[in-house]
Amino acid sequence: MRDVCIVGIGSTRFGRHAGTPIEQLAAQAGAEALRDSGIDRGRIGALYLGNFISGPLNGKEILAGIVGDQLGLPNIPCTKVEGACASGGIAFRHAWMAIASGECDAAMAVGAETMTHAAGAQVTAALNCAMDNEDDAPSGLTFPGLFGLAWRIHAQRYGTTRAQVSAVVRKNKAYGLRNPLAQMGADLTDADIATSAAICDPLQLFDCCPTSDGAAAVVLAARPLLAELRSVPVDILASVQTRGAARIAGHPDLCSFDATVSAAQRAYAMAGIAPADVDVVELHDCFSIAEVIDSEDLGLVPRGQGAVWAAEGRTAVDGQVAINPSGGLLAKGHPVGATGIGQIYEIVRQLRGTHPNQVPGAEIGMTHNLGGTGVACTVSLLRRAA
Amino acid sequence: MTAADPSVPTLPMLRCAGCGHLDTPAHTVCRACLSADLRPVGIPATGRIVSFTTIRRAPSRFRDQAPYHVAVVDLDAGPRVTGRLAATSPAPALGARVRALRPGPADLLFTIRDDS
Repeated sequence: MRDVCIVGIGSTRFGRHAGTPIEQLAAQAGAEALRDSGIDRGRIGALYLGNFISGPLNGKEILAGIVGDQLGLPNIPCTKVEGACASGGIAFRHAWMAIASGECDAAMAVGAETMTHAAGAQVTAALNCAMDNEDDAPSGLTFPGLFGLAWRIHAQRYGTTRAQVSAVVRKNKAYGLRNPLAQMGADLTDADIATSAAICDPLQLFDCCPTSDGAAAVVLAARPLLAELRSVPVDILASVQTRGAARIAGHPDLCSFDATVSAAQRAYAMAGIAPADVDVVELHDCFSIAEVIDSEDLGLVPRGQGAVWAAEGRTAVDGQVAINPSGGLLAKGHPVGATGIGQIYEIVRQLRGTHPNQVPGAEIGMTHNLGGTGVACTVSLLRRAA
Repeated sequence: MTAADPSVPTLPMLRCAGCGHLDTPAHTVCRACLSADLRPVGIPATGRIVSFTTIRRAPSRFRDQAPYHVAVVDLDAGPRVTGRLAATSPAPALGARVRALRPGPADLLFTIRDDS
């Protein structure tokens, strides 16, 4: 396998982009990433695009080819990948593999989603395509509901309190206020969170990520190409994708996602580092309790201590391991197919030292993208190039 | 109460003739041994709540029922299933005993048992 670097990044703001077609959002992010890299477009050998529900919500498929066309790329393979909320992370991994394997010297990964134009019921129905519709969905369960199940177990088993989980919300919403790409930053009190609309017990409205439009893109290149490029490169130490249980009933523990656990273990082994080496993480906080569970599954926080660490400030930018300084899905937003690439964008800014919520001296960053009811997961480890 | 209790409905499941693995009906291949010889069986519709939540913002087909409880249940016979609690059910709790009110597993509806 060859060494691969991230040499360019681009992202739209996450939020509402009323009237802008999805492929144009993707092209905006892609063009920004190409300009950032300084690469000649003719060198791009593959494009992978992460998207989840442009079919049901926009009536648009073949997005990868459309975006490649909009970006004026050569007649290269342009491939859409789908893994629900992990679609972006999967696109990134495929672009990395295309270069690492020697198939091409440079590649793009793009993620895009538009959701805010659709009615709430239409969005819910489309998102529920990521659930097992034979065994799980007939119960009337929803995605917030899945995390309600997990929260109850976490509370019973570890004594996790509402106020501790609210610390995750307050942290991410505060970081969102200072991230110009974020959709929904806010300065919240515990009372604001606890009295927001009840969604599914124990989740309130502020425990849930918003519905978002947005796109993000990255350009990857083999290390020998760096001499031609002007950007500050970031090394890809590892990029891992795993499958977890496809049905809720298939999870041995509803309070842990084995796809995350195995992806993290393989990523640490591939990179030759330990969890304690990670300075900054963008992880999949689709719900507040998800950040708690993810931080434990990734081995960053002792099992059962995810919410306690947040409440003690140990996952803040100046803490032991900075978690979601972008604002995360909770505040930055969750344009589903774009989220995984948006996480890479945020970590690259951290490792370049140019993030609006900069982690001082960040050298190693991690991204974690989780899809469906835990059926698809990607974990990537990135390092500031020496 | 026992499996023979006539007040407890049975749930249709599939048992693999090859390896004996018991699973929900939404299969044509055994996930344990890949055999396609799956035989319908009925198992007692009793079990214990692993966790539950109360859905207040429901998908459109369930909107008229909200709020309602969804529970993940470990059936006494082995399989883990996801089902809804009947509106008439006593309040759920972790570990509470449940029985199904009607044969599932599609649209499986549970109630808390009095002997919880």
